[in-house]
Amino acid sequence: MSTSTPSTTPPAAPDPSASSASSASSAPSDPSETTEPGRYAVSWRRVAGLARANVLLMTRNRLTLLYGLVLPLLPLLLLLTGERGDTAIGARAVTSALLTALLFPVYYNILSLVVSRRDELVLKRLRTGETRDSELVVALSLPGVVIAVVLSVLTLVVGLVGGLPTPANAPLYLLGMLVSSAMFVAFAFWTAAWTKTAESAQMTSLPVIALAVVGTMSAAFPERFAEIVERTPTGALRELVDVSWFGEDGARSVGFVDSWAAAGEPILVLLGWTAVAVWLAARSLRWEPRT
Amino acid sequence: MRDLRRTYGSGKQAFEAVRGVDLDVEAGTVSALLGTNGAGKTSTMELIEGLGRPSAGEVRVLGLDPVADRAAVRRRLGILLQRSGFSGDLSVLETLQMWHSTLSRPRPVADMLDALRLTGRADTRVVGLSGGEQRRLDLACTLMGDPDVVLLDEPTTGLDPESRRDVWSLIRGLRDGGTTVLLTTHYLDEAEALADELAIMHEGRIVRRGTVPQIVEGHPSVVRFTTPDRALPDLLGTATTERGLTVVETDDLQRTLTALLTWADGHGVRLADLSARTATLESVFLAVADQEGSTR
Repeated sequence: MSTSTPSTTPPAAPDPSASSASSASSAPSDPSETTEPGRYAVSWRRVAGLARANVLLMTRNRLTLLYGLVLPLLPLLLLLTGERGDTAIGARAVTSALLTALLFPVYYNILSLVVSRRDELVLKRLRTGETRDSELVVALSLPGVVIAVVLSVLTLVVGLVGGLPTPANAPLYLLGMLVSSAMFVAFAFWTAAWTKTAESAQMTSLPVIALAVVGTMSAAFPERFAEIVERTPTGALRELVDVSWFGEDGARSVGFVDSWAAAGEPILVLLGWTAVAVWLAARSLRWEPRT
Repeated sequence: MRDLRRTYGSGKQAFEAVRGVDLDVEAGTVSALLGTNGAGKTSTMELIEGLGRPSAGEVRVLGLDPVADRAAVRRRLGILLQRSGFSGDLSVLETLQMWHSTLSRPRPVADMLDALRLTGRADTRVVGLSGGEQRRLDLACTLMGDPDVVLLDEPTTGLDPESRRDVWSLIRGLRDGGTTVLLTTHYLDEAEALADELAIMHEGRIVRRGTVPQIVEGHPSVVRFTTPDRALPDLLGTATTERGLTVVETDDLQRTLTALLTWADGHGVRLADLSARTATLESVFLAVADQEGSTR
């Protein structure tokens, strides 16, 4: 066996000592398994296997199921009962549906998942295997993010049924949700870093939740504060909903093409917050409980 | 197979858990790292496992750096942590399926259930397993990747005697299959029963290494008896008497005993509470643990 670093030389054939002992059913199907991917590469076979376990765990805990799946469905009722044709009320209902989808299945769910599995030493155990940290992060985040994306599509459908106008730019609307999901994933990992136990997550999650809720209420503030509120993570999301769904950029009305330009600022604000959250999470990430 | 080699100089951290350890583990053998609690065994293991970086020195596993060449090393490494966890709400089968999905060359889940006698517990949630069963599940994950090198940190601590014997025979089976095993333990009988070679660690350093005969070599045998009324003859060793008990340390147990027994026979002396034993791993271990500021 050569002692050279294998990361630069993808082995053409599997290790001879490996093939004799490995079972027939275990031939790696994912090319990334054999090509020695970089540090941040992700094996989707591993992610799928780990995410499946996370989904199973979510369905076995009644509380997680409640706030991860049932609670975020409630704001959809507002969309059906809201006054038809009133876009201000409609925008508020859409925003609160998206906010709930981001705060519970994504933020709180991932936060408590990371904290409890860290304290049970499950994450430490997984890190002794072949699983990379990037794969653990994706597998922990995936179920919540998928729920949030499904919920945002559901919001679209229910909104249309409830009499809201056809979205001006549906791809932009979904893009906003994807970026926001990534942001709340990062906030969840950052919050987890200084959350001692799953119970204390009820307290430590409050700052981010408060910031998110206040951000959607810019209309309730005087104009000077409203401008600040619009630059919070969910303030930008709300603006994005106005542009992408209702075609409203302030007092101006925009179509599909113009909406991309009008969305520039809120998208930048979202990306900025995402970058901050990722930076905070990356520098504070812990995989095992403090001793 | 290649050897596992590691050397460090002293670390620069304020707390030095591992203070310059040289250790080679030969391929296809079982080696044991023995030590009292806090001797630095787990810290050392974490460096070999690639869970921590040495502050100085070098670790090589299968000729590779466990941190820099992580993916290549991990594919051939099986790790059992001293304490680790699984989600209580997953069943044994689901846990093993999850672990299976993370491996490059996994053995079938059914084989592992079988090998660790967990088949009957496959559908039981992890939370409902006994301590011994949880440890076997842990071991099933360690061994599922068909590793060439297995690192076991206190594999039998907290197990009942029967589970312990199970783990022992499993480790012997691994060695017979050509796997290299490095384990830590604070059970002397475990080290003696399993290890081809052992290293005794104390205060972050390895203070003795070798096979059991090599380690006990040079340590005196001990003869004890209740001090008789008569003056003793020359017993070819150093005799000390304390509270009515005479302890003779000797490098030649047979000649000392012969001299003692011949003398007693000739003088009609009854030696009460007579005992004789060669140096044991235990006596060496205790001598090491007592030693302060030990040397390498």
